[in-house]
Amino acid sequence: MKQQRWLPWVFLAPTIAGMGIFTLIPIVASIVLAFFHWDIISAPQFVGFANFAEVAQSPTVQVSFVNTIVFVIVAVALQLGIALGLAVLVTEKLPNWLRSFFRSALFFPLVLSAASVSIFMKYLFNEKFGVVNWILSLLNIPSVPWLTSPTGSAAVIILVYVWQNFGFSFLLFLGGLASIPTETYEAASLDGATGWRKLVQITLPLLSPTTLVASVMAIISALQVFDQPYVLTGGGPGDSTRTAVMVIFETAFQRLEFGQASALGVILTIFIMLITAAQFRLSKRFVFYQ
Amino acid sequence: MASKVGAVGEITRRAALGALGVGVVGVTAASWPRLTAADIPGRGDNSLSIVIQGTKADAAAREKLVADFNKVHPDIKVKVQAIQSVDWKDFFVKLLTMVAAGQSPDLVYVATEGTQLFAERLAEPLDRFVQRDAAVLQEYFDDVHPSLVEAMMYKGSLYQLPLDWNAANMYFNTSALNKAGLELPPEDWNHLDFRNLLSSMKQANGSDFTPYYWTNRLFGGVVPWLYINDTSFLKETKATGGRWLWDGFYKKDPSSKMRAGGSLWESPNALDPRVEESFDFLRGLVKDGLGVRPEEGGGNSLVGLFASGRIGSTPAGGYWVEGLHEAGMKEDQFDVSFFPQWRTQRHQFGTAGYAIMKTAKDKDAAWEFVKWAASKPAMEVAFALPTTTPTRRSMVNEALYSGKGPKHWKVFYDTLDKFPSTGPIPAPPQQAAVETALIKNVSLAVSGDQAQLKNAMKSLERDLDLALGRN
Repeated sequence: MKQQRWLPWVFLAPTIAGMGIFTLIPIVASIVLAFFHWDIISAPQFVGFANFAEVAQSPTVQVSFVNTIVFVIVAVALQLGIALGLAVLVTEKLPNWLRSFFRSALFFPLVLSAASVSIFMKYLFNEKFGVVNWILSLLNIPSVPWLTSPTGSAAVIILVYVWQNFGFSFLLFLGGLASIPTETYEAASLDGATGWRKLVQITLPLLSPTTLVASVMAIISALQVFDQPYVLTGGGPGDSTRTAVMVIFETAFQRLEFGQASALGVILTIFIMLITAAQFRLSKRFVFYQ
Repeated sequence: MASKVGAVGEITRRAALGALGVGVVGVTAASWPRLTAADIPGRGDNSLSIVIQGTKADAAAREKLVADFNKVHPDIKVKVQAIQSVDWKDFFVKLLTMVAAGQSPDLVYVATEGTQLFAERLAEPLDRFVQRDAAVLQEYFDDVHPSLVEAMMYKGSLYQLPLDWNAANMYFNTSALNKAGLELPPEDWNHLDFRNLLSSMKQANGSDFTPYYWTNRLFGGVVPWLYINDTSFLKETKATGGRWLWDGFYKKDPSSKMRAGGSLWESPNALDPRVEESFDFLRGLVKDGLGVRPEEGGGNSLVGLFASGRIGSTPAGGYWVEGLHEAGMKEDQFDVSFFPQWRTQRHQFGTAGYAIMKTAKDKDAAWEFVKWAASKPAMEVAFALPTTTPTRRSMVNEALYSGKGPKHWKVFYDTLDKFPSTGPIPAPPQQAAVETALIKNVSLAVSGDQAQLKNAMKSLERDLDLALGRN
């Protein structure tokens, strides 16, 4: 056995190498780069905390973080709400074969490329030539500037994002619902509990561990939203749909300020870690384990 | 059979691991050119590597060009690599990433949008090559308008020989014009005539008809309206220098005295009242349903919408002809005119040509390709179809537009001849950040009230300051 101590390392080596090259080294490089001025062409120059000070004062950065937070609150609430509602509906009301169909159908948008979906949606929501406004015109509703007004564009981005992402939360909730013992519901029925009461007093509390996982994943993902606003509106009109990751991209690849972009990346990472830590701390009060 | 099954059953874990190891080594060896990026065109040998914006099909389309070049220079191997991108901004991002990764090409086909970025950081001036081969190049300069050459100059040096170009002219759907009882406007029409023309088209065509479609980008968006109002969102000055070129190649040209060392855009100008006035004019078009609120981007569906008669007019250059022809438009179904005048009739144009990278392995070989690509036989191969406008005046002729239209194709080159102040896209070295600053404020400026317009101008000024690195 002693001779085979190396064997686990052989199996782990590809994963360790992959994680090292594609995850660990870029993370460390990004943190180091945050303290340098680098325009990709010239040699990097050490600037201390100047990049952090610079980005903290930028009005565009401030607006983008506010936009991102508003987006996370609305999109995650909708994503979890719709996913939970549909999961409950599918579990309770549908036969097995139809349940399988919905499981696949609702998950399907997630496997599509976000950029392709956004390009397609851009056509649908075009103010003058889009299908959505054409349908509204049939109902005598005036055309809406979906992608060229601050409210319209924010609404479309949230809609497209939620449509594409709620399938994952839906699957998590389906799994969570399946793990709730049927005896609990039977006992509640014998005690005269109605459907609503069962949902509030049995389903939601027993589903809380799943809800925690789903919300942590949904928030982390939403904080990094990029594809939809980048393709649909380019962050406009003005800065109304510009998100934190978009500003990181623009700072790096348009302004060629890779140091500032890295500093922003570090700030966003710390922000995500703080929110996730807060969620787990709160979970001690709101999550019930069977 | 039993013995064979037994043999399979006797494979040990060590043998299986060994086989796996051999397999991994084999796959790695087979993938070695990709893993080490040795398969990138021009890498690892002495080939001249050329990068263009486009698809693999675009790179393949240049094979004839490369083959013709190799007949003249059989000793210079050439490899063309295409980078697919949404726009020039996106192209430069990808190219800079290649440069940062140590995979810099020798030559890059760059448009006006990137000329100053390359000149400032990446490209080799062509001055010594041009002066050395002046006798050969005189014929090229005789055929190319000086405005196009000046657009390729930066601080007195020439960085590219312009090969193709396009001005923002005004395209019309002639059916939409005819329905309104209108004809193509005269050359000296103005912005108010334009507005009246849009109103007439709107009344005569259906409710789903858009009289004026425009996009939100650096070329053909708000900039032509600023130029005709004798202003721009950036202060434009001329760099000194460049006399070596004007006095050498253009001494007979009457405009050569006004030429200099290229344009400079070093400070914002969004608070100029004329800038606000131009934006306000466009705001009025949007408000009255004569023009669309511009979305960001190049308007990918524009050709189809124009060809189907749902758009009456739009700014575009000679590059649009082939697209409209392929979309099924007959030569009499569309036409082109000059942009209307306001305080001036200065048009906007963009041009493109090969830039030699500072890091090029063999700059003399690269120059030979640049020089050859500017020759008339090479340009006739490269620009056989009206997918763009060749910079050589002699090539913009009846034959190029025959059977495709438009009727007034002469407008394309006349734009330069009749309006010699016609200027390039305002693209300083910080073009990507400048374009983002412009785009993000245009929608706001033209889709709200007067107060929103004023705020958008202030925001544009602030964003441009940041983009130009003045803060």
